[in-house]
Amino acid sequence: MKRRVVITACSAITPIGYKRSDIIESLQQGRSGVKPLRDDGLLTQYIHSRVFGTVDYPIDYGFTRKDTKTMGPVAFYACQVAKDVLATSGLEQEFITSGRLGVSFSSTHGSPTVQRNIYKTFFSQLQSEFSSIGAVDYLKSMVHTTAVNITRMFGITGRVIASSTACTTSSQSIGFGYEMIKYGMQDAMICGGADEYDTTTVAVFDNLLACSVDYNDRPECTPRPFDARRDGLVVGEGAGAVLLEEYESAKARGADILGEVIGFACNNNGGDLILPNLDGITATLRLALADADISPQDVDFVSAHATATKMGDVIEAQAIDAVYGSKPLVTGLKSYMGHTMGSCGAIEMILTLYMMEQGFIAPTLNLESVDERCSMLNHVREITNTETRVAAIQNFAFGGVNTCLLVANDR
Amino acid sequence: MMNRDELQEQIVAILVDDFEFENPGLTDNLRDDHGFDSIDAIELLAKIEKMLGFQLAREEKEKAMSIRTINDILDYIEAIQASHKS
Repeated sequence: MKRRVVITACSAITPIGYKRSDIIESLQQGRSGVKPLRDDGLLTQYIHSRVFGTVDYPIDYGFTRKDTKTMGPVAFYACQVAKDVLATSGLEQEFITSGRLGVSFSSTHGSPTVQRNIYKTFFSQLQSEFSSIGAVDYLKSMVHTTAVNITRMFGITGRVIASSTACTTSSQSIGFGYEMIKYGMQDAMICGGADEYDTTTVAVFDNLLACSVDYNDRPECTPRPFDARRDGLVVGEGAGAVLLEEYESAKARGADILGEVIGFACNNNGGDLILPNLDGITATLRLALADADISPQDVDFVSAHATATKMGDVIEAQAIDAVYGSKPLVTGLKSYMGHTMGSCGAIEMILTLYMMEQGFIAPTLNLESVDERCSMLNHVREITNTETRVAAIQNFAFGGVNTCLLVANDR
Repeated sequence: MMNRDELQEQIVAILVDDFEFENPGLTDNLRDDHGFDSIDAIELLAKIEKMLGFQLAREEKEKAMSIRTINDILDYIEAIQASHKS
C-alpha cells in the first residue's frame, strides 16, 4: 500500500514571528530574530557566544491548569502549534480521538528549564528540609514530553513517535509521520518539533568552538550561512507543527491542501558522530529523490541545513552540487533565526510552504561575500519572485543523522 | 497547631489559588468535581508539608491516597498534627 500524503495545516512559533503574516513579512524584509543571549543565572557567564534566536513576543496560550500541570516551556510551544493546526484543519472531534490520528513530535531533550531548576534545588537547597522538585518534573522533562502533552490535551489515541535526534528531530518527525500515512498505518499525523530557550545547548556547542562569537555586539549579523565571514551557529528556540493527511480523505472532506510530501530519506554516516560527511549527506539527498521518484532537475528550491559552521556549510554545498548542480535556488533559512534545534526541520518546512504559496524565495540573510568553496551553488541573494513546484528541506544532526524531505506545491 | 477552621481556610485557599478550583465544597468529590488527580495529590502533600513545617513520612503520604473530599484532607491533617504532637 502506498498512499499520497498532503499537508493540510501548519503553524510555527519562531524568532521571526508566530503569525503567518509576521513570518512572511520578516522574510521579505530581511528581519533577523537573533538577539542578545538572555541570562539564565547559571551558565551564561561561562559562555563565549552571546547571541540567541529568541522568541520575545507574548503568546496567548489560553491553557488551563489541567493542561499545563505536566508541561514545561517546550510543551507550551508544542501544544500551541498543535492546537493551531487542529483548529485550522477542520478535523472532526470524532476523528481526532478515533485512533486514526497519531502524533510524531519531539524535542532535543525535554524541558531543560525544568532540569535546570532540579539542579538549582540540589545545589542551593541541600540543607533545606523541603524539596522544591515537583511531582511532575519528570513528565515535563522527559524527552517525549511534547508528544504526550499533545495527545493528552486533545485526547489523541493513535500512534506516538518521539524521535529525538538533535537537529533532525522534527524533520524525522515529519518523515516518519509521512511514512505512517503512506504505508497505511495511520490516516493523519500531527508532526513537528519544539525547543525552548536553553543555555546547556549553547554551552555545549560553544565548548566545541561551533558557536558564533564575533558578532556578539551585532546579533542580527549572525549566523552567516555560506558567507566567507561566518563563524559558527547561533542556537535558537521555537516550534513547528504540520498536519499530514492521506490525500484522498483530505480531498474528500474539502481540506485546504498546502502541499504534498512526495519523498523522505533518512540515513546515518555510519561513523563519526560530529564531522559532516559528504558521502552520507549526498546519499540522503539521492535516496529522497528515489523515494519521490523524481529527478534532480525537478527540484526548484533547496532549503539548506546551513548552520554557518566552517566545515558544515562547505560539505553541504558540495553535496548539493553533486546531486543537483547549480539549477535549484538555495537558501539557508537559519540566517533569520539561528538554529532552532529540534524544531528547525518543521520550521524550515513551514517557511518553505509559506514562500511557495506566496511565490517568492527569501535570500540567505548576511550572505555578503560567498565562501568560494560554496560558490558553485545558485544562492538566493535577494527576494526572488518565482514559482516553486518542488522543494527539498534538508537537515543533518550530531550523531551522523541526515534527512531530506521533498515537498510539492499542489495548489 | 492549627484548628480545623484555620486549616480549612488555608487548604481552600491553596485549592483555589494553586489548583484553580472553582467554588470548592467540603464534600465535593475532588476527582469527579474538580479533576484532582494523583499528580495533584503529590503536589498538595508538598504544600501541606510546608504549611505544617515538617516533612511527612512515606507511610503518612501513602495514607493520603484514600482522600476523596476536602473534609478528608482536613481529617488527614488533623490526624497528622495529633500524631506529631504526641
